[in-house]
Amino acid sequence: MYWEKEIETLERKGLEKFQVEWLMKSLVQAVNSPFYGRDPEIQRIVKSGLNSVEQVHELPFTTKEQLRNDFPWGFLSVDKKDVVRLHSSSGTTGNPTVVYHNRHDLGSWANLMARSLYAAGIRDTDVFQNICGYGLFTGGLGFQYGVERLGCLSIPAGAGNSLRQIKLMRDYGTTAAHAIPSYLGRLYEVFKEEGLDPHKDTNLHTLVIGAEPHTEEHRQRIEEMFGVKAYNSFGLSEMNGPGVAFECLEQNGLHIWEDAFLVEIINPITLLPVQEGEIGELVMTTLDRQAMPLIRYRTRDLTRFLPGTCKCGRTHRRLDRIAGRSDDMFIIKGCNVFPMQVEGVLLKLPEVGADYRIILATIEDQDEMIIEVEVKKEWFRGDLAFLDKLQRHITRLIRDEVLVRPLIKLVEPGSIPKSEGKAVRVFDQRIK
Amino acid sequence: MTFQVSIFLENKLGHLERVTSILKAAAINIRSLHLNHTANGWGILNLVVSDPVLAHQLLNDNGMSAALRKIVVIKMTDEPGSLDALLKAIVKAGVNFTNAYGRVVNEGESAFFVIDVQDFEDAAPNLESVGLQIVEDRLVYGN
Repeated sequence: MYWEKEIETLERKGLEKFQVEWLMKSLVQAVNSPFYGRDPEIQRIVKSGLNSVEQVHELPFTTKEQLRNDFPWGFLSVDKKDVVRLHSSSGTTGNPTVVYHNRHDLGSWANLMARSLYAAGIRDTDVFQNICGYGLFTGGLGFQYGVERLGCLSIPAGAGNSLRQIKLMRDYGTTAAHAIPSYLGRLYEVFKEEGLDPHKDTNLHTLVIGAEPHTEEHRQRIEEMFGVKAYNSFGLSEMNGPGVAFECLEQNGLHIWEDAFLVEIINPITLLPVQEGEIGELVMTTLDRQAMPLIRYRTRDLTRFLPGTCKCGRTHRRLDRIAGRSDDMFIIKGCNVFPMQVEGVLLKLPEVGADYRIILATIEDQDEMIIEVEVKKEWFRGDLAFLDKLQRHITRLIRDEVLVRPLIKLVEPGSIPKSEGKAVRVFDQRIK
Repeated sequence: MTFQVSIFLENKLGHLERVTSILKAAAINIRSLHLNHTANGWGILNLVVSDPVLAHQLLNDNGMSAALRKIVVIKMTDEPGSLDALLKAIVKAGVNFTNAYGRVVNEGESAFFVIDVQDFEDAAPNLESVGLQIVEDRLVYGN
């Protein structure tokens, strides 16, 4: 049931005691870096010591901008010769975000990843296909090392090339796989085009989906398409990558590994902790990373702690699925809108497909939110009144959800480009 | 039973032509065409063709949304006042419709009037009972 029973089920008091000790170690390690070495608050706590995890609030935040400004070596806390790997963002807009790992770091990351997969029911008897880009992107190697640590037969399939993915699944009897949710819709289409049914023509029982926000309805749709259980995975490259938080068999929230990360949820405006259960920005401190500790890193991901305890017995708290990123949020007609809200509405409607586009445009001096949705072929009866009613129905549901009246545009099936990477859903064409 | 093919189309350059080129490749003849456009950027194209079942299948196979809908085709004369007489008879038959279109068959002689009856049971017998002349499938399809 557990990969590491003792730490996964450690009672909260014990866990907090552990966190105080490891936070201190992390701070001591961090001041070796040029960036944290010049921070007076961290220096002070390193000298005076820590009594409780609450003292984390006395520490300064770290932001993505700071990571970029001190590129490339500003956050490195060990001798460069001990660093064995880096992962980095593409950095198409300015300096990339780079994270360094020494051997210890890669080992603890692989362990967290194995622990996560184990919680989702994956065992060393599984054949695990990692449908994910390898290289600087953490989803490739991150899963690879975890799957190997767990002891599965791993298939480092890489991203895309759906026909080859299907062939690998059939040749080696893949039982579990990891992919981003938007790609799985595409893969299913290719199964159908080939006259294959994943229920009958594969041995899949588990899919791990992540790296892209998605809704509960989207998960259920994936489970139906492939006849599997799908578990949500959460991670970010600044906190290693995948293996930060993961769903257990209960599929009700993602356990965030609190022996590896000190987790806070703050109000992004006041920067104060939110009430337990309230949505806010996830802030994380690494507790067990040597090459590049990060203190109170503002992830920009919005989520909340789920109240109560999990039936699985793990004491590490559960995050709700990511409610969006502050970067994704757009403001139209004075309302804050997250694309996830729109997606949540659309996925409840069997008449429309999972793909959609939000176009923000200026029409006759007014900002408008145009939402393109595909009407599924099987629902089309050739009747104008039905489509008209559907359009009005969607308009009303979305307006009730986001408080802005959208312009719904029904488009032909297949006309919205399927994304094989992280799906871009919002196109802002407003005249500024 | 007579059918038309109804196709969901976005109002974009080349979309109608995609339909006609699929039909052309299968040597399907278009007997009558009617395009319904809405203010929302899309519309429905209604086609009477020589082989509606095949046309429906080919269009769907090519990724388009197409549906078969039941129609009744009424024969009329091509002269002033004949549509008025025909509509009076339809009113008498109690058949209300939302979609209809016409086509001249022989200049100055005969014409067809097409009514979408997908949602009406017994439309054909009712129309026949008031003396309207329903055109047989093979004549509608031109086979």
